[in-house]
Amino acid sequence: MMSTSQRRRPSTIDAREQRRHRPDYWLVMLATALIAIGLVVVYAISPGLDKNGAGGGYYVSKQFMAIGLSAVAFLAVANTPVQWWRKVEKPMIIAAAVAAVAVRLFGQRVNGAYRWIQFGGMSFQAVELIKFALLIWLAGFLSDRIRRGALNNYQQTLKPLMIVLGAIGAVVAVFQSDLGSTGVMVAMMAAMVFVAGMPLKRVGMIAGIVVIGTVLAVASSGYRRDRLLTYLHPERDCQNAGYQACQALIAVGSGGIAGLGLARSVQAYGYLPEAANDSIFAIIAEKFGFIGVTLLLAIYAAFFARLKAIAERAPDDYSRLIVMGILAWFSTQALINIGAMIGLLPIKGITLPFISYGGTSLLFVAGALGVAFNISRYTTFVPQTNQPPNKEGASRERFATTAVRYRT
Amino acid sequence: MTPPAVNRPFLSPTTRIRVWYGLLAIIMAVFVVRLFYLQVIRYNHYHIAALQTQLKQYEIPPARGIIEAHEGDQVVPIVLNEPRYTLFADPKYVKDPAQAAGKIQGNIGGDYSQYINVMKQNSRYAVLAKKLTKEQKDKLDKLNLLGIGTREEDYRTYPQGPLAAQLLGFVNDEGQGKYGLEQYLNKELQGTPGELKAITDAQGVPLAANKDNVLKAPKSGDRVTMTIDIAMQRQAEDILKAGLDAAKSKSGGAIIMDPYTGAIKAMANYPTYNPGEFYKVTDANAFNNNDVSSPLEVGSIMKPLTAAAALNQGVVNANTTYFDPSRFTIGDATVTNIEEDGGPGTRSISDILSLSLNTGATWLLMQMGGGEVNQKARDAWHDYMVNHYQFGKPTGIEQGYEAGGSIPDPDKGFGLNIQYANTAFGQGMTATPLQMGAALSSLVNGGTYYQPHLIDRTTAADGRITTKQPTIIKNGVVSANVSTTLVGFLENVINRNHITYGMPNLRSQFMIGGKTGTAQIAKPTGGYYEDKYNGMFMGFVGGNKAQYVIVVRVDQPGITGYAGSKAAAPIFGNLTNMLIDNFGVLPKS
Repeated sequence: MMSTSQRRRPSTIDAREQRRHRPDYWLVMLATALIAIGLVVVYAISPGLDKNGAGGGYYVSKQFMAIGLSAVAFLAVANTPVQWWRKVEKPMIIAAAVAAVAVRLFGQRVNGAYRWIQFGGMSFQAVELIKFALLIWLAGFLSDRIRRGALNNYQQTLKPLMIVLGAIGAVVAVFQSDLGSTGVMVAMMAAMVFVAGMPLKRVGMIAGIVVIGTVLAVASSGYRRDRLLTYLHPERDCQNAGYQACQALIAVGSGGIAGLGLARSVQAYGYLPEAANDSIFAIIAEKFGFIGVTLLLAIYAAFFARLKAIAERAPDDYSRLIVMGILAWFSTQALINIGAMIGLLPIKGITLPFISYGGTSLLFVAGALGVAFNISRYTTFVPQTNQPPNKEGASRERFATTAVRYRT
Repeated sequence: MTPPAVNRPFLSPTTRIRVWYGLLAIIMAVFVVRLFYLQVIRYNHYHIAALQTQLKQYEIPPARGIIEAHEGDQVVPIVLNEPRYTLFADPKYVKDPAQAAGKIQGNIGGDYSQYINVMKQNSRYAVLAKKLTKEQKDKLDKLNLLGIGTREEDYRTYPQGPLAAQLLGFVNDEGQGKYGLEQYLNKELQGTPGELKAITDAQGVPLAANKDNVLKAPKSGDRVTMTIDIAMQRQAEDILKAGLDAAKSKSGGAIIMDPYTGAIKAMANYPTYNPGEFYKVTDANAFNNNDVSSPLEVGSIMKPLTAAAALNQGVVNANTTYFDPSRFTIGDATVTNIEEDGGPGTRSISDILSLSLNTGATWLLMQMGGGEVNQKARDAWHDYMVNHYQFGKPTGIEQGYEAGGSIPDPDKGFGLNIQYANTAFGQGMTATPLQMGAALSSLVNGGTYYQPHLIDRTTAADGRITTKQPTIIKNGVVSANVSTTLVGFLENVINRNHITYGMPNLRSQFMIGGKTGTAQIAKPTGGYYEDKYNGMFMGFVGGNKAQYVIVVRVDQPGITGYAGSKAAAPIFGNLTNMLIDNFGVLPKS
């Protein structure tokens, strides 16, 4: 067992404020680019979405409202000191638990999964709140265990983690039948636990449990079995279970190298289900072709690289874990979504972060982005944890007053 | 202060972050490779797969040709197209049938519960209402009902109302012409559908501005101009209706045609119907143009034709007289005269017509056989009926369901001689009133049989006009002399009988001739009804020459007296007056 007794303590807010510097505007610009792409595509295909007689402008104006609301959320969160989130862990967990129960009790069942709660004229995707709560709680939990040197302690760390994992599996995967979001949350936990420094043996053990749980979850639900079979052989049942997968592949493949053009998408006109939401990547591929989607993936890669850089240079464990969680959240969700559209993963029914039409997703994604943006004000000049201390014992860090010194 | 050293984890957190990001980058690279495979290598496959579902072929219905007719010197439309709207539901999208049905009923009326039933049908296209007007459609459009839509369709409209309904026919809900002109010229009126090959949305609505669209414009149907004169047709219909009422008859018909071209100027039928509301007709007989589709035993109006045949063969001449015994026994049957004949006596050919002697017609047939009804007589008379007067086959007039009638075979059958004796005065054979009119035309115009026709000209979609020239079917039906003789005989019939015929004020400056017919009606079981007759009249009006040939048919009049003279002749008289007064019959000079 490693001794992890003495690691850095989190700085006080005052100390942090002294180290405040220019935030990472690239992060915001790349995210804005993704949102803009989504908005333009939703606008371009809105005539085809108009199956309820709501008028083509309906979707665009609703998306504008979501963007406005998300911008407010982003600015509020970006100006909230990251330590503040430690105080609201409990209320957030309670809110997430209430949402998780409410969505099962009062929620709408869409495509076999419970996802939406209606209140007033608005619908709300409970799982987004659960993701955010998980992020906040787990970062706090793990940074606490690191500080206490108890990361490897079974009772203090592993057992609660297993319970939370089981709870997420039970609530999100089984009750809500939302395996895609479960995957995202498992990936968030894995990334944060991994980066927290948990021995790989333990990580592997948890991964094994997750695999077994996944197999059981898939085997227990006809809806999921269908989706898995469809994933394995989409062309076998293009008219029914494999319809979305087949139509997504047609959209992607028929885009060719340069795409059909912004206004020329056909698959959005009733062929590909959820063209503005879960399937928007396929529509982008159809419109902009291989060149366009490669560029899109490059924007994502650059965006993730900014998050990675912030995580590397995060001023403390808590911040690092939060940013890592955000990175895992966004990237896993994007990869699961895109993977499904290009036939590499089963159709999961989750949104493409920043791009998909839909308010709840964008709101929480923007909130999480605000947290990362806030942290980017306090990053160190070089990664903290990878640099052996220099001969003088002083770190080469720009602002840090503390550094880990590893035994040699 | 240097913090205390700790156990170095297997990988430092920064390394772990980089490992995670590295995995992410690898997966994204795999995605790019996969996208390259799908979009570049497999592009053709998916391009074709996309077209297979997205590209749909459509037929663009052409505009049906309109129908026109004359009105004096003008040409006016008699059948036009008008867009109407079919209201349909896509039940899959109708969330609240009760509410939708209520709103539809509130705006256009109709049966609420039937609307609900239609909206619950298990289909994607359920018709709620048809033939809605533009105003009704606009009202419904404003409701913005989910899953309810309208579709434009062309319907026939009739600016002249029910005028000439049987001549025109109608267009059924499948767009097919039925009866009359619409049936006969269905192909020409229909035009050629266009083709649209379009990328469509999943509902099949073409998406505009796509380079894969291939368009073949529809070709509108021909515009057809009829020979009839609308005013004459209307007055003829009115006169027919009044005459049928006076004769207590339920049905009948009248034809007015130009004997020198075969052009039909008016053709009236009663009972009639409104072709714009053809679906309301309960008795399909109203659709029939019985003037061309219902052959009947024509009765005594045949006698002029018999006389003309005998005159033309030279077996009698205009001045021939003979002794009429008032009855002939042929085989085991006896020919007598139904109408008052004045008993046995010496008669002229003209008498045969003016007294309408069955025995006289039989005597004429005997002369064709050299003195008796025999094979020679039958063959000669058969030749006239079939090859001169064109009986036994349709005339080819532009009408659906035209019938040809039947003429007995001169060589085969039982009791041929008495049967042929009967045909000499229009029994035991059938012909349509039109065939009679066309045959009479050939007798009064100097001997030329023109094909009767209803179409003046057709104008194709590209503006090309085809004018119908009079078609001569046979020259020399009879000689010009025989024609002149016969015209005189028929004038004589009117002169001698016009009081009986209900034409008290004969207009002497005009040439009016004709022949009555009171035809026995064959029972379906054989033999004839004792108390049922059809009244016929066939004649002409003109000045120096016959300008119009007229055939009148009155089915089973309910008044006493001979049907031909009491029921049909007055109608003929009124028609001649109408033609003289309103349609420029030139007086004798």
